[in-house]
Amino acid sequence: MTTADTTEIRARRPHVPAVRAEGLTVKREGETAIANASFTIDQGEYVGIVGPNGGGKTTLLLSLLGLLPRSEGSIHLFGEPIDSFHQWNRIAYVAQDALSFDQHFPLTVRELVALGRLGPHTLGRRLRAPDWKSVDDALAVMDLTSLAYRRIGHLSGGQKQRVFVAKALVRNPSLLLLDEPVTGVDAHTQEKFYRKLSDLNVRRGITVAVVSHDLAAVFCRMSSVMCVNREVHMAAITEDLEPNDILKKVYGEHFHFVFHRHQCQGVFGRD
Amino acid sequence: MTDLTLFDLPHLFGYQFFQFALLGGIITAFACAWIGFFLILRKEAMLGDGIAHTAFGGIALGLLLEVNPVLTALAVSVLAVLGISYLRKRGLAQSDAAIAVMLALGFSGGLIIVSVAGGFNVELLSYLFGSVLTIDGTDLLVVALLGLATLVFLGLFHKEMLSITFDEESSRLMGIPVGALSTAFNVLVAVTIALSIKVIGIILVVALLVLPGLTALQLNLSFRATTLTAVAVGVTSMLAGILMSAVYHVATSGVIVFTAAGFFVFAAAYRRAGA
Repeated sequence: MTTADTTEIRARRPHVPAVRAEGLTVKREGETAIANASFTIDQGEYVGIVGPNGGGKTTLLLSLLGLLPRSEGSIHLFGEPIDSFHQWNRIAYVAQDALSFDQHFPLTVRELVALGRLGPHTLGRRLRAPDWKSVDDALAVMDLTSLAYRRIGHLSGGQKQRVFVAKALVRNPSLLLLDEPVTGVDAHTQEKFYRKLSDLNVRRGITVAVVSHDLAAVFCRMSSVMCVNREVHMAAITEDLEPNDILKKVYGEHFHFVFHRHQCQGVFGRD
Repeated sequence: MTDLTLFDLPHLFGYQFFQFALLGGIITAFACAWIGFFLILRKEAMLGDGIAHTAFGGIALGLLLEVNPVLTALAVSVLAVLGISYLRKRGLAQSDAAIAVMLALGFSGGLIIVSVAGGFNVELLSYLFGSVLTIDGTDLLVVALLGLATLVFLGLFHKEMLSITFDEESSRLMGIPVGALSTAFNVLVAVTIALSIKVIGIILVVALLVLPGLTALQLNLSFRATTLTAVAVGVTSMLAGILMSAVYHVATSGVIVFTAAGFFVFAAAYRRAGA
């Protein structure tokens, strides 16, 4: 699939943005972690969230999920103010520490992914055939079918990463938020992972926002970049965007990211 | 019963006391193994031990007031569980410290009552170490009702409890009522301990809570298979204990714990051999 095709598919998405924040300020332990941020994530986007450690990326995601109170400003999710938003099943989240679970926990891949189906509507009832069908579909999409009955503690880092995305996918989300679930994953596996997310974004129309330290992957693969370091700057990734212009705003004037777009044709082949 | 041998077993099944013991024992073992498996995964096995010791105060209170001691033990255990949750939530004590405080309070409350009342030593012993062969109809009814409460709860919500145990934060995000289910679970730990008092006694109930789950965990199975194995180990140990004590007059709870510990040793050896 070419860049032009991808852009065209994205252009066909509904107009209500998945996320709209205005003047958002979030404090954590008395300190301002996010200051006066305004941005929009349109449906169908594939957003890379970058920025220095401790810059507020996780704080930002948690506030978008309603898990951290905001001091000022507003958040709209799919057009609805967050305080009255109730379609939480449309949003799936993979936490930063998702992979650091107890490695001896007695769960198979299929059992863990099935937990993603739970919610208020499944309280006190068994999972039914359609639930298990979604589970098996998600396993297939994430290339995990052959590992379905493997214990989760016995998987490699890359496989675990895919399992948690599968657990998020069984909810059939419109928006998938990932907080850098990269523990113990090598560069090649990481690249395959970003390609898989790209697939979900383009073929399934899922809006994806992923915290990443892999700037090359962000500028090669994704449709927008969001730079977070207390302030939030967002830009669409186009041929004209000079990455350093926006990156310097959060990493500082001395930062320089060496990037040539032709790199994307090699290691990061757009497909 | 003094001159029985194993060949007299079929004959024993005809006696009501034996039927009551089997039924009460199976319900207790089932509930203990299932609840205990979650306690292990939640890394809260000592909660079971702490609550069981606190229940001593409730038993003494029941004997003093001439109320069924299982019911007073239930009331005191539930209060202790809620007290521990309160201390934790308010940040007044860490989990293990909160358990230690409640354990000491409940147990010393029992000691004071026993010393003031100055009696019921023999009866008290049967609650400390269990006396499954003397279960009567009322005891069985109490065990059955409490057991039913525990098993129905776990039957309905075991996937939610699994989700909470594995990842509380993401469960909350998915709209699972984490707080309510956790409180209900803790109350049912107290319920399970109360129902075990007559069968295995408060001193050794922790073994029936922990050993079956720990044994099953050695086998590297799926969650479902691990749960079923834990229950099977618990019930089998219970049956072994009841049969041995009926035939050979050995202490029931002692045999139950040794059988369960035997299963654990075999499972651990199997795991080591396989690894």
